[in-house]
Amino acid sequence: MTITTRELVPALAIPPRRLPGDPGRPLTASRTGSRLGRVGLVVLLLGWFALPLLPLALWAFANQWSYPSPTPTEWGTDGLNSAITAGGIAAFGRSALLGVAVAAIATLIGAVAARALVAGWAPFPRLTTVLLFAPVAIPPFASILGTNVILLRAQVPSLLGLVMVLVVVALPYTTFTLRAAYAAHDMGYEEEARTLGASQAQVFWRIQIPLMAPALARAAFLAFLVGWSDYIVTLIVGGGQLVTVPIITASLAAGVGNDSVVAVLSLAAVIPPVALLMVLAQNGFRGRP
Amino acid sequence: MRTERGARAVLIVLLLPVGVVVLGGLGSAIMQSVGLMPLVGPVRFNLDAYAATSQDLPVAIGVSLAIAAASTAIAALVGTAAALVVVSGGWLGRLVGIAGAVTISIPHLIGAATIGLLLADSGVLPRLLGIDADAWPPLVGGPWWVAVIAGFAWKESAFVALVVAGTLLTRVAQFDEPAALLGAGRIARIRMIFLPLAAPSLIVASTIVFIYTLGSYEVAWLLGRTYPEPLAVMAIRLFNDVSLTSRTESAAIAIVTVVLAFAAVAVASVAVRRLAVWR
Repeated sequence: MTITTRELVPALAIPPRRLPGDPGRPLTASRTGSRLGRVGLVVLLLGWFALPLLPLALWAFANQWSYPSPTPTEWGTDGLNSAITAGGIAAFGRSALLGVAVAAIATLIGAVAARALVAGWAPFPRLTTVLLFAPVAIPPFASILGTNVILLRAQVPSLLGLVMVLVVVALPYTTFTLRAAYAAHDMGYEEEARTLGASQAQVFWRIQIPLMAPALARAAFLAFLVGWSDYIVTLIVGGGQLVTVPIITASLAAGVGNDSVVAVLSLAAVIPPVALLMVLAQNGFRGRP
Repeated sequence: MRTERGARAVLIVLLLPVGVVVLGGLGSAIMQSVGLMPLVGPVRFNLDAYAATSQDLPVAIGVSLAIAAASTAIAALVGTAAALVVVSGGWLGRLVGIAGAVTISIPHLIGAATIGLLLADSGVLPRLLGIDADAWPPLVGGPWWVAVIAGFAWKESAFVALVVAGTLLTRVAQFDEPAALLGAGRIARIRMIFLPLAAPSLIVASTIVFIYTLGSYEVAWLLGRTYPEPLAVMAIRLFNDVSLTSRTESAAIAIVTVVLAFAAVAVASVAVRRLAVWR
């Protein structure tokens, strides 16, 4: 869920810790004994992060896997077929749309709020900050039990209510990311362009947007994750109308004997955000322009 | 100045949904829980909802706090170790950073499903280890909530790692190298440079993890047992219950959970302010 993503491939940021031409190793580099310990720690950590994903890789392509066998007894695509029959493709599309909608709106509001807070023209800056960041401190199930009643009484369509609640849940992440970016943003570029005769629209499209693009991408990615991953808000506020990948996966995972189809749906839910992450990391996701 | 006033008006409009969800949601949950927004019947202030849940509520609070504390402790420990590796750089550090980023982007419900496939008594782990299903401890749905805690600890350790590594990357080298030059060993540098610099972000990240775990529904619902229930599971079950009073009881549980979450924030902010780095 929650990251300030500028550190996603962080090791790149560390400059070589010795002078050019110096063949020696830095004092802080590990040596024999501690190097072994470090490699051991890395192996343990990689195992810790990767092990839970192993069942997905195995079960997704298992037609049959009778109990004591350590590997599937029959490989195949039965799981994939059941996932498609269960409406997996449509659910995939709905999840993607929900993620994109939340990302677009939460990034826009986050950007306006962040710029206002940094530039000092936000109304009641303290209250605004508290409101924007409050969703981190309020468990979503608690706020939606109350919000749901308001939305029902105001007759807000459930889909609209769902997007609204998820946008509010995503706003702390987008605002935090973009506030840091706007704080580091040099207004001098914009002022200079204005002095040279650029219109406000030109400054916005040709200076502010390009300079802020990496941060906007980070913020949008985090907000996309909120919409893409959500289960409980979709269930309660969506009122069962919007069947997303997590909703189908949950109902199948709560039953028995669905291991293979659950694994296929889970893989389908894991691949898009990871692919997005890789694409963004390739395109200067974390670097400053 | 006119554009600024216009922009401010736009911002206020854009922030309306936040007000509705945060203030409206909390307000309406409070009012429901004290009988001021009944589904049917007279509006009358009462604490019936809190009294009705008073038998199960302490147990639910205990279960939720225990799961949240255990998950947060493991996540903080593993996350700090991972952050240490990431900050110390090299391709090993980068590899751990990538593994953490991938783990973060996995939806919680999907994480719970795959932990279930791994740890259940017919799961992948007992198969790989060649342990008989009868001999395998009941990790999923068992008395110690092992699968639930494992699910949270796994995903949240990646969160802690990247938050801590992110705040340290730019700062640790400038202290680490001089200290090494002055003869500080590895352990001394971890104890006197890495940990003190990491402490504020570690506390903030752990607090977010604790609150998230305290109020999370899907992982405990999928991997936990039916009794006793954690707060979120109990509240959602009551919310979907057919009896008319159960809605007010679920609102009461929501309010109790929010109070616990705010208390965690208060404790954490006191702790952060006491840190040497903060002062």
